[in-house]
Amino acid sequence: MRYFVLIGLFIFFFTSCSSDKGEYVPIDQNPKLEFEIPSNFPDLDYDINSNPPTEKGFELGKKLFYDGRLASDGVVSCGFCHIQDFAFTHHTHIVSHGVDGALGTRNAQPLHNLAFMKEFTWDGAAMHLDLQPIIPITAEVEMNETFAGIIKKIEEQPEYVQLFELAFENKEINSENILRALSQFMIMMVSANTKYDKIERNEGAVFTEQEAAGFDLFNSKCASCHAGTLFTDQSYRNNGLPIDPQYNDIGRKRVTGLASDIYKFKVPTLRNIELTFPYMHDGRLKTLQDVLDHYSDGMTDSETLDPLFKNADNTIKGIPMTQEEKDQIIAFLKTLTDDDFLNDNRFSEF
Amino acid sequence: MKKIVFAILALTIVFACKDDNENDTVEAGTINLEFTNSIDNTPITLNSTSYTNASNESYTIAELKYIISNIVFIKENGDEFTYPVEDSYFLINEEISSSKQISLNDIEAGVYTKIRFGFGVDQSNYPLNGVANFIPTAEEQGMLWSWSAGYKFLKFEGSFTPQGGTAGDFILHIGSHGEALDNYKEITLDLTNTITINGNTSTISIDADIAKIFDSTNTHSLEDKSDIQVDPDNAPKIATNVQTMFEIQ
Repeated sequence: MRYFVLIGLFIFFFTSCSSDKGEYVPIDQNPKLEFEIPSNFPDLDYDINSNPPTEKGFELGKKLFYDGRLASDGVVSCGFCHIQDFAFTHHTHIVSHGVDGALGTRNAQPLHNLAFMKEFTWDGAAMHLDLQPIIPITAEVEMNETFAGIIKKIEEQPEYVQLFELAFENKEINSENILRALSQFMIMMVSANTKYDKIERNEGAVFTEQEAAGFDLFNSKCASCHAGTLFTDQSYRNNGLPIDPQYNDIGRKRVTGLASDIYKFKVPTLRNIELTFPYMHDGRLKTLQDVLDHYSDGMTDSETLDPLFKNADNTIKGIPMTQEEKDQIIAFLKTLTDDDFLNDNRFSEF
Repeated sequence: MKKIVFAILALTIVFACKDDNENDTVEAGTINLEFTNSIDNTPITLNSTSYTNASNESYTIAELKYIISNIVFIKENGDEFTYPVEDSYFLINEEISSSKQISLNDIEAGVYTKIRFGFGVDQSNYPLNGVANFIPTAEEQGMLWSWSAGYKFLKFEGSFTPQGGTAGDFILHIGSHGEALDNYKEITLDLTNTITINGNTSTISIDADIAKIFDSTNTHSLEDKSDIQVDPDNAPKIATNVQTMFEIQ
């Protein structure tokens, strides 16, 4: 008997403080998605515990990503300029296209491995992945919409109301949850299954002779900026592109206001580079051959030209390469194409 | 022995559910913050009144907006009550009187002697704590840079005439410059009279001396620079001045 009383008291003790407000939510209604850092990748920059991707959050993010309601004309979704088949770039488009045929001033960047990146856009104007979508959504020449406008539009959609309820504890349709859902979708976009990765991870793949030669050349001529397994040191540099008077894009200076940052742009990742043409911040170069020709012979000097491209006497050195070497480097760059990622149904619109 | 065990268990049960905040005699209350933007101890008027700065430049103000955030009340013993950060972003707009009245509910009971708040948005908090939910207000009020993902902390615009010079417009848009420059500032003010919260509503009047935007720790001449937007030299000087402009009335 004594034991029963004690047990009874213990049960009472452990249950007496539970709150009436805590409704029972089945655990499997919105399971967390598994996120694994590829073994050859660096640590995440994104604090994934602050916004862990869940099944519903991801589904909501994907729906938002492909929804024209995020734009003033109801057409130009994020996916309009970020097309999966081309590593989420705007295939063949020199600069981004916006509502009512408006033209932007910069080339849409690929979307992958974003959770490993520190800052976003060509000039680093977004310092967090959650904030990046603010720029294209509100830019007049891109989606030209307001968050107030988006919230109003999606509140009228029962499917959205339900998804927000399932995806977020506070169930609210607000800017924060819109941005967090988009991030959950984008965090999961990891491209790490290229031939290069399989070689780096000793998974049995081998370079051809030409690719191997190209890899050696790449390491000696390109990898100081396109560094590490992400193929970018995430710095901002002036690579000697002549100024295009049509845009007169001042680059990183727009963000920092510093004269020393004029004409500097983010060193882009080179993953899936075979498919993300045209190249450079304004899409001026059509092919990888054009890009290497620029580095070997096409640079223009200016005050902020990266010192790596200069000789001791201050003349332009560029990156000297023979045509054979260029062919080899291009062969290597093509080992950075990730067909699994490009065809991954999880990220597909349909 | 058995009795002692029962007694301890019984006591544990009785005390286990007691909420520290709930007490018959101590209740949360409300604090209203009333902002007044003034020059020479007189509330400013937009467009009509002409003011003169320390550089002998006369100016009129067309627009004055700034972001207040991260409000904390500090007790005599140094304990702090942090108003829920996600609800603590406010836009003070001189043109809209209601924006200058901020009502903060559920303030923990206690005797408060100081207030601390932020000018702008603390980017070290990005992107947590609901700061993104301030976007609709900021975009409606023109406090977002169109090309950037940051907030303008201060928007101060008008016309000016240098002594013996020709008239022109001035534009001050101050915010942080990505990761490169953080212009967020914290302001701590001693309350003139301590505030006791116990179920009641109290009001704190805060005066912002707008003349100090030009003339305080730093002196800024509009003739030297009348357009300050993403300006790594002048923006931090203006932000430092703003930090000094608040005073409890």
